[in-house]
Amino acid sequence: MSALAWRAASLAVVAALIALWGEIAALKLISPVFLPAPGRVWAALQHGLLRADLGEKLIGTVSHMLGGWAAASIAGVALGALIGSSRTARDYIAPTLEFLRPLPASAVIPVAIALFGLTPEMALGVIAFGSIWPVLLAAIHGFAAIEPRLVEVERVLGLTRWQRIAKISLPSATPDILAGLRLGLTVSLILAVVCEMIAGLDGLGQWVLLAARAYKSADIFAGVVLLGAIGVVANAAISVVESRMLRWRSTSLS
Amino acid sequence: MTPAPLIAFRSVDLAFGDHLVLGKLSFEIGRGEIVCVVGPSGCGKTTALRVAAGLIAPTRGEVAFAGAPVRAPRRDVAIVFQDYSKALLPWRTAAGNVSLALEAMGTPRGRRRERIDALLKRVGLFAFADKYPSQMSGGMQQRLQIARCLAQEPAALMMDEPFGALDAMTRQSLQDEMLEIARATKATIFFVTHDLEEAIYLGDRVVGLMPHPGRIGIELSVDLPRPRDQVTTRESPEFLRLRHKLYDFIHASEKGGRP
Amino acid sequence: MQRALALPAALVALAEIGARAHGPSDSIAPPSAVVSALLEALADGSLAGATRDTLVSAFGGLAIGAGLGLALGVMLGSLRPLDRLLEPTIELMRPIPSVAVIPIALVALGFGYRLEIAIVAFACVWPLLLLTRAAVRGVEPRLIEVARALRLSPLQRTAKIVAPAALPRIFVALRLAAGISLVVAVTVEIAVNPQGLGYGVMTAGQALRPDMMLAYVVWIGIVGFAFNAALVLAQRRLFGKAAGVEAAR
Ligand SMILES: Nc1ncnc2c1ncn2[C@@H]1O[C@H](COP(=O)(O)OP(=O)(O)O)[C@@H](O)[C@H]1O
Ligand SMILES: [Mg+2]
Repeated sequence: MSALAWRAASLAVVAALIALWGEIAALKLISPVFLPAPGRVWAALQHGLLRADLGEKLIGTVSHMLGGWAAASIAGVALGALIGSSRTARDYIAPTLEFLRPLPASAVIPVAIALFGLTPEMALGVIAFGSIWPVLLAAIHGFAAIEPRLVEVERVLGLTRWQRIAKISLPSATPDILAGLRLGLTVSLILAVVCEMIAGLDGLGQWVLLAARAYKSADIFAGVVLLGAIGVVANAAISVVESRMLRWRSTSLS
Repeated sequence: MTPAPLIAFRSVDLAFGDHLVLGKLSFEIGRGEIVCVVGPSGCGKTTALRVAAGLIAPTRGEVAFAGAPVRAPRRDVAIVFQDYSKALLPWRTAAGNVSLALEAMGTPRGRRRERIDALLKRVGLFAFADKYPSQMSGGMQQRLQIARCLAQEPAALMMDEPFGALDAMTRQSLQDEMLEIARATKATIFFVTHDLEEAIYLGDRVVGLMPHPGRIGIELSVDLPRPRDQVTTRESPEFLRLRHKLYDFIHASEKGGRP
Repeated sequence: MQRALALPAALVALAEIGARAHGPSDSIAPPSAVVSALLEALADGSLAGATRDTLVSAFGGLAIGAGLGLALGVMLGSLRPLDRLLEPTIELMRPIPSVAVIPIALVALGFGYRLEIAIVAFACVWPLLLLTRAAVRGVEPRLIEVARALRLSPLQRTAKIVAPAALPRIFVALRLAAGISLVVAVTVEIAVNPQGLGYGVMTAGQALRPDMMLAYVVWIGIVGFAFNAALVLAQRRLFGKAAGVEAAR
């Protein structure tokens, strides 16, 4: 079978699964309170976006996620560069970071609430705190793992400190950094949703939780569909950036 | 010997911890001279080259470059590393890799393209300017590294077994290209190899090191006419005589005795 | 070692001085007060109970999710056509953040262990599925040829060649999922589920007991660290150090 035929067949599977879901809902094998029919979800999605504030919630979640992630990414790469390129700094700091890493970021939410209250700043702080880890640890690794031969090339060419960072260290750490950014984006979406649920901030987290309290399963599913869509788009965006920036990697002897 | 040497090892000791790798090493390389250093594996050839390049400081003694002691790497001394794939920037194209040296030299942006093209042409990679190292064969990658080194406009080229990882055919063409570059640029060349024939074929002089610690065991002048030729030079009686002598020396020093 | 401890020691000292200088507060507490709160919660058994609740959910969800992920991963890894057919389905499901499932599970299951276990399981399916699939697919082709030369049956081939070859990488996935299980369990407790360590942090915060709140956070950190360390140790024991390094790439 050609690649195109496989693609068509696999999309048909998606359609069939949705049809199966519709069938189960229609036969009420699972109560509609829990499982809305696909048509009702579609209607809830349309209604929410066109006549209710689902669109604003979507924008709220995306902006929470991107705000925290961007702050974490900038800080993570900068700190990672500082720590990663100095042996001494690594010896002092890395063990502490390794110890803190398994700490669930959501555990600091109550602490952040105690400090900042139920505010958007609290959410920003929590999301940034949670998504800095993957970026920071990846950047430290990337900057530390620079090929020793390239360090000698830097010395022979007499590059300035700034040239070393911009021309050698940063590009050499880029694959690691991108992997960290991807993970950080996933974490930031999760934390954005949790913060919205707890603090009642405008966002899909709040939307789905309120819908659950009211037993509006179609609204819950509409929110979840949008959250999935954010995840898909975010992942795809990172993949595009990755394949552009790492073109030199995928190419092989031709 | 040339009256004013460009590179002079003056009684250089080098120890890693208490392991003495070079012991009272003294020899000189004249301006424009091609000196090949041979010796059994682990005898300190690479270490000697790295000391001369300023990548490591001698424990005692000094290396003088154009009369002044070497304390750090200098831009007019280029190093061609054996592991070319690690010494190139994988994220830059061939042109970008050559450009790195020009950027380091502060060549204005507008003049780089022209220089890059000329250098890539010189090593036969002009058609591959936009290829990444991962898209090139080993021989092409080593040519690229040489082009980057030439961009430094070096007074001296330090080459550490540069062709050791290449197949025999590629090695021979690179040897001839290197001789042509040396002729055209008049660069001084410090060439480390473990291939005795390569040393004789390329060198004006061959220095043989003995191990434990690394020191001079033999020095041979190579009075073979230039330009050299892969067939006739290697068949000449003088070539064979030198090869024989060098072989006996290496054989003896590998056993640990003096020749 | 000394260098490793210098920073935490300095931070704790700084926090102690800072918190004392600041005076009584509803949001921060000096490390000494946190330690005594931790001892208090350990003594009255509340910490042990909360830890048990969290671990039951984490392990329960891990067992279900990892088992499901493993089975799917082996299937998709060895049956290329099935993998191709399900690819978009998986690509559409996987990016759904695990916490988004909370409301669905809440409506269907109500508060309690089942809610938490369901969400942990959903989160743990993916690493197992993806890494197992890659591990099974990545078995050295030469080994498969050996299996064919020896005329092993598909079942024998899976048991004798594929499983042992893929196992070290699958264990890495399990380690990853185990870490995720704890994080997700605590997150669900903080977000909605009134039980376990996450709920403990929330209630201590709401009761304006910053010392107790931070004690719970520190304890969660200790549990997470111990959990991870135990798994790293098990991995080294089972597959040697080299396997861990190899598979972590
Ligand atoms: N960085 C180093 N630290 C410790 N010992 C080294 C180092 N580099 C080289 N050596 C030792 O120095 C000796 C000479 O090495 P090298 O100069 O690389 O030899 P050659 O290039 O002639 O094969 C070897 O015994 C090697 O093990
Ligand atoms: Mg060597």
